[in-house]
Formats: sequence, C-alpha cells, structure tokens
Amino acid sequence: MAVTAPTTSVRPAPSLDRGDWRTTLFNRVAVGVLIALALLWLVPLAWAVDTAIKPEAETTVVPLTWVPKAPTLDAFRQVINAGDLLHWYVNSAVTAILITATTVLVASMAAFALSRRSFRGHNLLFWFILAGIMVPIQALIVPLFREFNSVGLVNTYWAVILPQIPTPIAVFVFKQFFDGIPHELEDAAVVDGASRFRIYWRIWMPLSRPAISAVAIFTFVWAWNFFLWPFIVLTGTRVMTIPVGLATVQSAYGIHYAQIMASAILGGLPLLVVFLLFQRRIVEGIAGTGLKY
Amino acid sequence: MRDRPPPTTTGPGLSRRAFLGRAAVLAASGLAAGACSYVGPGFSGTTHSSRTLTYWNLLGGGDGVRMQTMQAAYAKANPTVDLRPVTLTWGNPYYTKLSMATIGGQPPDVAIAHLTRLQALVPGGLLQTIEDADLDRHDMHPDDFVGTAWRQAHFDGKLYAIPIDTHPFVLYYNTDVAKKAGLLGDDGALAPIDDPDALVDALERAKRVTGGWGAAFSSTNDFATVWRLFYTLYSQLGGKVLEAGRVVLDDAKAEQVTTLMRRLTVDSQVAPAAMDYGGAVALFASGKAGFFLQGDWELPTFKDAKLPFDMRPFPTVFGQAATQADSHALVLPRLDRPDPERTDLALGFAKSLLDQSLTWAEGGHIPTWLPAQRSADYRRLKPQSNYVSVAEQVVYDPPAWYSGSGSSLEIEAGGAFGSVMGGRRSPAEGVARFRTGLDRLSSAPSPV
Amino acid sequence: MATTQQASGVAIPRVATHRPRVSPLRRDLPGIALAMPFLVLYVLFLIVPILYGALMSLFDTSLVRPGLSSFVGLANYRELFNTPGFWSSLWHTVLFTLLSTPPLVILALALALFASRVARGRWFFRLAYFAPYVLPVSTVVLIWNWMYQPETGLVDTYLGKLGIGPVGWLSDPKVAMVSIVILTVWWTLGFNFILYLAGIQEIPRQLYEAAALDGAGPWAQMRRITIPLLGRTTTLVAVLQVIASLKVFDQIYLLTEGGPDFSTQPAVQFIYESGFTSYRVGYASAASMVLFVVILSVSLIWFGLVRRQEKGV
Repeated sequence: MAVTAPTTSVRPAPSLDRGDWRTTLFNRVAVGVLIALALLWLVPLAWAVDTAIKPEAETTVVPLTWVPKAPTLDAFRQVINAGDLLHWYVNSAVTAILITATTVLVASMAAFALSRRSFRGHNLLFWFILAGIMVPIQALIVPLFREFNSVGLVNTYWAVILPQIPTPIAVFVFKQFFDGIPHELEDAAVVDGASRFRIYWRIWMPLSRPAISAVAIFTFVWAWNFFLWPFIVLTGTRVMTIPVGLATVQSAYGIHYAQIMASAILGGLPLLVVFLLFQRRIVEGIAGTGLKY
Repeated sequence: MRDRPPPTTTGPGLSRRAFLGRAAVLAASGLAAGACSYVGPGFSGTTHSSRTLTYWNLLGGGDGVRMQTMQAAYAKANPTVDLRPVTLTWGNPYYTKLSMATIGGQPPDVAIAHLTRLQALVPGGLLQTIEDADLDRHDMHPDDFVGTAWRQAHFDGKLYAIPIDTHPFVLYYNTDVAKKAGLLGDDGALAPIDDPDALVDALERAKRVTGGWGAAFSSTNDFATVWRLFYTLYSQLGGKVLEAGRVVLDDAKAEQVTTLMRRLTVDSQVAPAAMDYGGAVALFASGKAGFFLQGDWELPTFKDAKLPFDMRPFPTVFGQAATQADSHALVLPRLDRPDPERTDLALGFAKSLLDQSLTWAEGGHIPTWLPAQRSADYRRLKPQSNYVSVAEQVVYDPPAWYSGSGSSLEIEAGGAFGSVMGGRRSPAEGVARFRTGLDRLSSAPSPV
Repeated sequence: MATTQQASGVAIPRVATHRPRVSPLRRDLPGIALAMPFLVLYVLFLIVPILYGALMSLFDTSLVRPGLSSFVGLANYRELFNTPGFWSSLWHTVLFTLLSTPPLVILALALALFASRVARGRWFFRLAYFAPYVLPVSTVVLIWNWMYQPETGLVDTYLGKLGIGPVGWLSDPKVAMVSIVILTVWWTLGFNFILYLAGIQEIPRQLYEAAALDGAGPWAQMRRITIPLLGRTTTLVAVLQVIASLKVFDQIYLLTEGGPDFSTQPAVQFIYESGFTSYRVGYASAASMVLFVVILSVSLIWFGLVRRQEKGV
C-alpha cells in the first residue's frame, strides 16, 4: 500500500492489439458493457434530481414519468428554509476540516518520529499503533459514549472530532513515505542545530505532498460522511452533521418525495462538487492508500 | 520549487507575502467572529437562550400536519418565543434519541411521549415531575383530564406528563357495505357484536358483500397492530400480562384469543393472513373490505377518500369492555439544573396545545382535555364522538421498562401472534412463543 | 570532508563534527514529544474504550445509572449466547458479507479490466462508478428508499415492464437483504474499481508487449498476465471488503431499521439497540466484545494472508 508519485494514465498502445476481429470484438464488447453499466449507475442520481425538480403532485403519478411538466426549484427552497440544513453544512465543514488538519499533523509527526527511529522502543510503538487498525470503532461506540458523557461533552464538536483523529492507517501511510526519504537530509540539518520539530516541519513535510494529499483526502471524505459515531453522540439538531441530520430529522409535512430528494441531493452536493473538482487527486489518494476504516 | 525556505521579511515595508498573510488573518478573524455564534455552540455545548423552546415529537403524516397548525397558532400567540419543533422517526429511534439527549445533558425543553413509555423514562430518571403549583399557574387541573390517562401519567403519586389525547384501537366499518350486509341496527349504526361468533359472522357477511375481504387487517411488518388486537381481546377476558414485574400471562385466556385471531385469517378467511399497513389502509379505502381494525388515526385518510364510513369502539366479544390504547402526552425531560423559566415556557406550550384539542381531534384522537371533549363542538364531530366513550375503559400496555408503544414487548407479541395469524404457528404455539420472549425480557436485569 | 546535497535545491554543506554527549533520555525526548499527541489521542479514544468496554461487559452497567453498577461476571455473555436475536444478528451480518462481497470484488475487477482496454473516456467511467462513493449514506438511502417504493418506485415500475411482478423490496423479509446489497454495490463498487485500476496500471507494459508478440489476444493477455498479477490487489480488495462488511450498520439501519420483522438486523445494530435503546450498556459491551473478536480474527487472517503473499512474491 505504498503511496507512489502520481502516474499518468496508461493507454494500451495500439501495438498491443493485433488488429484482428477478435480483439476488436472484445474491445467493442468491453466498451459496450462499460457504457451500459455506467449509464445504469447514473440512473439513481438522475432520478433523484428529476424527482426533486418536479412539483410534489407529479412525483407520485402512476405510471411514473421522467419529464416534469412544470419543473420547479420549490422543493429545494422549502428544504433550505424549513430546517437546519445550513447548520448541518457548517457543522460538517468545521468538523471535517479540523479532523483532517489535525490528523495530518498528528499522524505525520508520529510517523516522522517512528521513521527516524528517534527513540528506544519505537518499533514496539509502531506495532502497538498498527494493531489499532484491527479495532473497529463499531465495537467502541458504547464505551466512547460513556467516556464523553462523563466529561459532559456529548453533543459537541469535540465528541465528533477527537475520536476520529488517531488513525493508525494515516501513521502507516506517512511512515511508509518517510521511510523512502534519504537520511542525509536530516543529518545535515541536525548539524545545523535544528530541533526535531523544525526538521519535520521545514524539511520533511514540504517533501511529503503526495502523502499529505492522500491522507488529507481520504480523511476528509471519511470524516464528512461518517455516520455511526456522530449519529450516536450528536443529539441536538443544530449541531448535527449532514449525514446525521438527514437521517434523523423527519419531514413533519408527511412524505413529500420532491422535498426528500431535494434534501438528499443538497446533502450529497458538497462532496460531489469537491469530487468533481479534485477527481484526479481524490482517486489517486484513495487508490494509493487503501482506506481508513 | 515548493520547498525553498520561505523568504524572510525584506527591507522596509511589508513583503507581499506578509501583507497577504495579515489580510488573510484579518478576514479570517472577521469571519470567525461572525461564525462564532454559528459554531460556538458546537464547541461549548448548546447554549440555551431563555426565549427558545425546543420541542420534539414523533408525529408524521396527517398528525404531523395538524401539529404544525397548532404550533403555528402558538407561535402567533407568543411572538417572543423562538419555537423550534423537530420531528423524529416514530418508535424506538425517537425514544433512544430522547433518552440520549437527556442523558447527555442537552434535552429538548418539551417532548411528546406515549404514556406507556413513561415506564422506562421515569425510573430511568429522565423526566421532571410536574408540580401542582405549576399546573395551577397554567390553569390546568386534574379534573380537567380523562381519568385513565391522568392516572397513567403518574408514578409513585407524582405527575410526569400532560396527556393530550388517547388513541384507542377501534372498529372502522364501511356504512354502505354494512347496510347491504344487514349489519346495521335500527338507529343506522352498527348493531352490537357480543361474542366471537357474532364477530366472525358479521365479517363473513361483509366479505360476501364486498367480494374481497370482510375486514382489512395488517399483520405483515406490523407488530403493533397485531399486539393491539391481541391485547384488546385478552383484556376483555380480564387477562393480565405482567404484575409487579412478574409474568402472569394466562395461557388459557391467551389461547382463546389467539384461536379467535387465527379464525379470522386462517379458518374463516375474513381477513388477510399477510398484508402490510399501507395495504390494509388501501383495502378499506377502496371498499374491498367492509371493516378495518386499527387505531383511530386513519380517520382523515378515509374522510379524504370520501368513503362512507363510521367508527365504533372495538366490540366487546369477550366478557368485559376493554380496548387497547395509548396516549400522547407532553413531558419535560430532566435538566441537570432545574430551570423554572424553561419549565414555565414548556407548560405554556402544553396549555396551548390543550386549548387546540379540537384541531387535534380532527385527526381522530380522543382529547384527554375534558373541556374540549365535553364541548358541543366535539360532540358534533363525527365519527369521532361515536367512540369517545372508550376513553375511560382503555387498557394501557403492561407495566415494564421494556413495554410500551413500539417496544420490545410489542415486538415479541407481534412476532409470536403474527405468525399465528399467518398460519405458521398454532394458537398454543403462538402463546408459548410469546411466553418465552416475555420470560427472557423479564429475567434480564432491569437497567432502570 | 564536505559534500553537498542537492535535495530541496539548496546546497547543504556537510561537515564532520562530533555531537556533545547527551543522556539517552534527552536524545529520545524530542522524538517522543513528536509522537505524543497521536499517542495520547490513540490511548484515550482507542485503547481506553476497548478496555473500558471489556470491563463493562462484566457488569450490568446501565446508560441511565452512573458508575458500573453490579458485577455479574460472565452473566452477560451467557445471556448473549442464549439470545436468538444475537445469533440472528450475527448471521445477518455474515449473510450481508456473503452476498455483497462477490459482486463487489468480481464485478469491480471485470469493469476495471474492461476499462483498461479503453483508450479515451476513462474519466467518464471513473466518474459514473465512483461518484456514488462520495455520497453520505443518508443520501444514498433516501434515494434508494424512494426507488424501492411499491407502485411509485422506479425499480418496480421498470421490472414490471419486463413482466417481473411487484417485489416487496422493503417489505418482504426474504428480499430485504438483497435490496440492501444492491444499494451497497451501487454505492461502493467504485472504490474497488479504482483500486483495481491502480493495480492494473502498475503492471509493466513489456509483459503485454511480449505476449502480443507471441500472438496472445486481449482475453489471453488478461488471463495470463493481468489477473494473476492482480493477485495481491485482489486479496487486498477482498479482505478489506469482508472486514468492512462485518461492520455494516448505516445503510441497513436507515433503510429497513433492521426489519422487516428483524430479518436484516446486523450485529452492530444489536449492540446499538441493547446499549442505547434498552439502556443495557454492560450487555451491549459484551456483544461489542464478541463482535470485536470476530473482526479481529478476520483481520489477523488478513495479515497472515498478506504476509504469506509478500513472502511468496
């Protein structure tokens, strides 16, 4: 699971294809299947958007239709005005950004110390941390709640942020990357009298863009979409993150699918936009590291 | 190259980098200050302004709409109060969230709760008592409430909830079908049904008329409805399920009930053996079933469908008159530090809802606020006033922390008796299954 | 002697010196200090909870009571193993894993193999398959709940056009788990797709060129080169998938709440309901420990497998 420098996409060069009918057929079938499935994959989102722009009465027409007779953005407007969606956006942004920044910082610091074998027992510590990969947060929800409740931090950002910071995989990724950087860099700086921290901050971190990028991206996406623990520890609707708010708060207006779809789309929009803008980075980041939980 | 060391400040004046840096910091702190009030509570734990009233409920659908109307009326009459209503998913998810919010020290100011759920909330120390003095101040008196509900809202002599309605299990019937089946009495209402045979007979006649079913009933995915039917009939036999924490289920009586339940779906086939909630509603609404066995809240659905129908208390087919029911009530979650202002605001809201009982009653529920229930306006409401007599003879779910609307006890019953109605278990087996589940629930150490 | 270092575009003269003698502890300190923040958080929010959970599993701790309450030894575990609901929830988790892992592994591989044969437009496929992955579970469930509705839902409508009768996607206990699996495949396939694509890209072109010279067609190339060389990636994908599936909760809880009639309730939901709905924290901790052991065992098998593969390569 090494983080490598980004590679350009490999295109099968024409010379690998024999140019005969079997190859062409295979390629055509491949493309056909890919396109068919890709279109199928797009249907749910397309249908959600389609429903959201219909007037409520049109949504439950049987048999269903795709083309709205009177498309409108009313559903979106109602959803934004009615509830705490904007609060949820802010809550998600604040917690995700803080988690990401802190995780990158804290994990890379630890990985640096471990990679440079800067204290006795570093190997033991590394395995100790790595063992944590096998501890799922799903088995910790009950004691974690009690822990936060005992210090009165239930329903706060702290409760959401703190448990998500210590991520063994982040340490692992950084350490792998640091292990690949030559020692000489450090030795010279030590001679200059630089403290460990300065070496870490001034020299290593700037060199570690791929690793930072990868960890930051998978941490951000994960933190934003994390459901189970925030669902448990956030009880007030103003403090909820997007996934929790969408799942907990019911529309008191009854089942209005245009509004429900509008809220679903608005809920997924931030990361979708982030994804569209940073597609390449995100894909590389995730591909390079495996995953978080 | 990114990794060149940053330039130190050059000579006089700000370097561009420093300038941008400072501008960014200023902008950020400006934003932060504004955002502080937005996100501050997230860091510090929600601060509560004295004029905010958070109100949780689990009312969706038609009830939800009606509640919205009542909330709006309150907001209009109390413009200085910032009412924040939140609706959560019905059943366990609601009570779990309510409990956890209270345990975490940040509960809503006032919340809806089923009276039967008090048996877990009160021993768990999650609710405040409501003092007589506070009631008086808001012009609410014990005599103004229906006796059964009022008593159910008490624990150890202390009041923990203000009931706003009772919603019993009732019998809906299609008046046209009933007429054709010769089931109406001289007064145009349903002729009394006094024993199991009469019940089955009536349903059979209805079935012949509709060509579909005698009665619409949901047993698929619907443990609550199955439980309500069982408990109504079982209580009519005088049976009890729990007493002082012990299981006192009377197998013989229970079996009598499950035999009748099975008769409806399997033997006489007057009700479907497999139908879900929505399907049963649709069945009755379309006229393909002459009767419908359910709680009173579907009244608006059938009124909207312009169905000719009426509602009556569930017939007393066994021994004594009894009907399963529950009540919605307003509770005050416990605060770490008592706050008289919040309590006052919450009680004022409760009174407002009580005053709007007639609006609430339009949804089918029986108001527990007697001034409304006894009013001429309510008597004029049909078919609501046709089953109002039930309010004083309702039976609430057995007393246990695992009991109540949507609880494990109902789920066990629904599973056991639902399979009897579905023909998968014999009446005796169903009772045995329920007993096993009950034993397990009652032997687990109580967490409250 | 002095050497210059060309890293970071700055020349760093290297001079031989000797360092002042410092105690080993002082030398260790900066390193320890750097690792401390992570370590503190790690201990507080990963180690302490697991130990606390283990402790609570021996008591009848309640959510509404402070402290540990009474010691009950292994009674919680005994009760757990005698509760059919617990075993069914474990089974549901396993069933979910069995049903969802093959499509998520094999279909992703197939699509990645196909995509590798495509010269242009790969971005489109990546977008289509991976976009769902960045959506929160709540959005995904709301959309699929809408699609699974009887009569007005998209799925039943189009199946109806193919003559397939209405299916109780959310109401039929026999079908509900399949509905959840379909949703999960749509939601997370893109992730494995990306992993496979990355793995395929790492295969050196020369291998393909050599095979092409030997007259091997695309299918043969895949069979003899790509798939075998993807062994490591496949193991990774499969094990990650299995471990993730064992932790399933979100989409099941949100789509069916563990129903209909409890037919889909996963182990994590059993823990959630015991601990937070029924307030029985000690009992729920016991269940958590059991689940933890199960997941730990699978993870250890993974470590073993991966190590064996590394040695073998």
